[in-house]
Amino acid sequence: MEAFVEGFHTVLQPANIFWIVIGGFLGTIVGMLPGLGPATAVAVLIPVTFGMNPTSALILMGAIYYGAMYGGSRSSILLNTPGDGSAIAATFDGYPMAQQGRAGEALAISTVASFIGGILAAIGFIFLAEPLASFALKFGPAEYFLLMLLTLSAIVSLSIGKMVKGFIAMCLGLLISTIGIDAQTGVHRFTMDIPHLSEGIEFLIVIIGVYAVGEVFYNFLTIDKDSMKEKKKVSRIWFTKEDWKRSKWPIIRNAPLGFIVGVLPGAGGSIASMMSYSTEKQLSKKPEEFGNGAVEGLAAPESSNNAASVGAMIPLLTMGIPGSGTTAVMLGALIMLGIRPGPMLFENDPGMVWTFINSMFIGNIALIIINILLVGLLIKILDTPAKVLYPIIIILAFIGTYTLSYSTVDYFMLLLFGVIGLFMKIMDFPIAPLVLAIIVGGDMEQNFRMALTASNGSFGIFFDSAISITLIIVTVLSLFYPLLIKLLRKKQKDEEKGISA
Amino acid sequence: MKKLSLFVLSAALFLSACSSSSSSSDGGAEYPSKNIEIVAPASPGGGWDLTARSVQKILRDNKLVDSNINVINKPGGGGEVGWNYLHPKDSHYLAVNSSLLLTNNLLGQSKLTHEDFTPLATLATEWQSIAVPVDSPYETINDLLEAIKEDPKSIKIGVGPGLGNDDHLSFVQAAAMKEVNPKDLNFLVYDGGGGDVVTALLGKHVDVITTSLSETKEQHLAGKLKILAVSSEERLEELEDVPTLTEEGIDMVFPHWRGIMGPPDMTEEEINYWDEKLSEMAATDEWKELLENNDWDDFYQTSADTKKFMEEQEQLYSELIDDSGLVE
Amino acid sequence: MKAVKIGMPVAMILISLTFLISSFSIPRANLGNPNGPLYFPIGLSVFMLVLSVIYLFNELKTLNEENKNIKALFEGRVLKLIGVTIVLGVIYALIFETLGFLISTVIFLGGLLFYVNGVKKWMVNLIVTFAFSFIAWYGFSELLGVSLP
Repeated sequence: MEAFVEGFHTVLQPANIFWIVIGGFLGTIVGMLPGLGPATAVAVLIPVTFGMNPTSALILMGAIYYGAMYGGSRSSILLNTPGDGSAIAATFDGYPMAQQGRAGEALAISTVASFIGGILAAIGFIFLAEPLASFALKFGPAEYFLLMLLTLSAIVSLSIGKMVKGFIAMCLGLLISTIGIDAQTGVHRFTMDIPHLSEGIEFLIVIIGVYAVGEVFYNFLTIDKDSMKEKKKVSRIWFTKEDWKRSKWPIIRNAPLGFIVGVLPGAGGSIASMMSYSTEKQLSKKPEEFGNGAVEGLAAPESSNNAASVGAMIPLLTMGIPGSGTTAVMLGALIMLGIRPGPMLFENDPGMVWTFINSMFIGNIALIIINILLVGLLIKILDTPAKVLYPIIIILAFIGTYTLSYSTVDYFMLLLFGVIGLFMKIMDFPIAPLVLAIIVGGDMEQNFRMALTASNGSFGIFFDSAISITLIIVTVLSLFYPLLIKLLRKKQKDEEKGISA
Repeated sequence: MKKLSLFVLSAALFLSACSSSSSSSDGGAEYPSKNIEIVAPASPGGGWDLTARSVQKILRDNKLVDSNINVINKPGGGGEVGWNYLHPKDSHYLAVNSSLLLTNNLLGQSKLTHEDFTPLATLATEWQSIAVPVDSPYETINDLLEAIKEDPKSIKIGVGPGLGNDDHLSFVQAAAMKEVNPKDLNFLVYDGGGGDVVTALLGKHVDVITTSLSETKEQHLAGKLKILAVSSEERLEELEDVPTLTEEGIDMVFPHWRGIMGPPDMTEEEINYWDEKLSEMAATDEWKELLENNDWDDFYQTSADTKKFMEEQEQLYSELIDDSGLVE
Repeated sequence: MKAVKIGMPVAMILISLTFLISSFSIPRANLGNPNGPLYFPIGLSVFMLVLSVIYLFNELKTLNEENKNIKALFEGRVLKLIGVTIVLGVIYALIFETLGFLISTVIFLGGLLFYVNGVKKWMVNLIVTFAFSFIAWYGFSELLGVSLP
């Protein structure tokens, strides 16, 4: 308790407040830009952190990380272009809301959802850091495989009505994820002797390609007819009471879900927000509204992915093990400063840890203010004439792609995925299965094969632990729950008919 | 008319004087004559990037080099993309390297090798460690290798992020020295998804891991795992209880080194320039502090020594890769 | 119109066949299970092939139904817009590293704006092109420290 209060005092030093605000603002900005993410932002700041007080450096990097979670959904809502993998779910209902003239509400509710998710997770951090860290260790290859499988099944269950297309998109994504060196054996697959491909196709290029470039191409279809379309006026910059009533429970119950998924090394925000979205859709009484601007479909994943970013700090700080790309970069930066996160950190330097935990509260408060102030400015983007806006999106997509691996080879890939995205949209394919399959595909296959190597080929390993069995049950439920509900409703209707007849 | 020709003549003289003076200032004595670019063949944040940025910072802060120094990231292909980028450049471009420069070529993944560049220095090294859970039945590295010899499939060895790296090959060498056939070793390769080897060991999903010491040292000190042996020549500070492989009767020292090199055909003066500057850099307190923070050891060697060192290393790696069974 | 409707499933069939055929030429692994790297790609490409064939039949059944998106694709200058963007993108990729960020971005963005937005609005186009290129260069290169050519 004493350490907690002391940490609180340290956070309130003007210098630290300054870094929190800078980090939060920078995080929001890089989160919005496609391709640029928190990992890049933290990495380019490493030279700045040289010579900084290590505590301030940690606070700054943390603020960038969760700031990017706030920013990521901005471009999802306004432009149907997620800034990062964890913001994909925000396109499902956020963009339809914007199209209906409810962009202001969407931006505001997602900010509040991020805020609540972040604060709840920070509280969770205080009480649950140690037990969750040891829980995460129980995840072996078999458990990881089943977790990825659950994510994929959640995606597929979203494609109801166009199941065949959803599965094709998923297969394509999984196949693309096999391109590169196979980690287990060192064998090159589908690389065509191009060194650039040996590490596989970066999933962010696919996101930027099919979403940003593909979306612009798709909008070219109607660009010359825009004058005929009546422009929806954005009136509000705050959400309604009704919005809040529908969102509050989804926001609160998905924060713990995202938090726990975030703690698992390697899982991260993309999986967390996806699982939250499909959970809410299945719990909802009006699942048909999901995808057409259901406010809870936006709020739930936003709460979840922000909580996940806080959860990801747990393995970093308690065990010195980075659970995501961003925390890996943070680890490198902290080591340069002479701090080695790990089991000894809580004993050797409790002041630093508590200061950081407190900074998450202040940081989230700073971020909700920054982002609410930005709402008014951001909705102006929608007033930009489409013919000026789309070229700018294209160029931002190119620059964002360049920052991923500093190579113009990726530009050709970007255009290719832009065209794929266009035709998928024209032919009414769901896009999320493609992108999420690329994100989880590689890990899914590797973990599957590692599990089998570990068990000497016996499939029993997938039913070996309580965690595995729970994951299997949830997966089966998530696949059949929608069918079950349909059957029940049909039966109900038949009975009603029978009575009335 | 006369006036005009005089003017033309004098102008021509003036121009030629300018150009000759500028060309002389471009000469070798003035190297470097423009910005220095250090290529980090990896994304920001990794070991290579940190090495490049540290060199940049220390050279600049101590005013060792007058030119401006930039770091360029060229990730991809395990260094391949960055080194390909360096190859045709002039001598103002340098790149960070490591044993992957040799192994990429030996594994047939790259046409370039150390002979295609000018080695400038070896900078630092990390040491390898072999670790088991605290309650593991194996007390020494020899216990472990005996058990592997009896039933290779029974021991799962965690390694990452890919085969053919130092983590993998150092274990291959140790096993081969105890007459275990490295082809029988049961490796689980953790490529980042689902945590790394240390997580796997702490969760007991593998029986032993082979990884760089910086990953395991803190965990060992905190009593979360047990390092059986390190690959250094002598026992290390803070880890006085951990024997070296040599002490355990496995006669090998395995550095995981990092160095810096330039494009092919750098001149004598240019090489001397960097020998001077980099040796000064390696002697600064800042560099020493940086090594300590990262659990790296000083491994500075001059250009000439590095060249010899690379040749020896190439020989060693070529044998190890044959032993490992990774290529036919 | 019909060509696009059939083209999509046919493209998917071709993609899955390409993956399937090249899966068999993946070298056998020397370590562990020699066929380990093959199972996943082969299984997936077969599954995708089956689905794509089903998809083809679905499309054939509804061949005469109208798809307003496809119709829009062939109307006006839509195809030209997409084509010009792709061509400019390819040019951008080719000149990016030799001409540097600023010049190539001005060319790319300027070209795109003049084509999409029309020559009549040249004033807006020029202002946006130069302002955006400079701000992007300054923001990325100076503030974020991204190394741009």
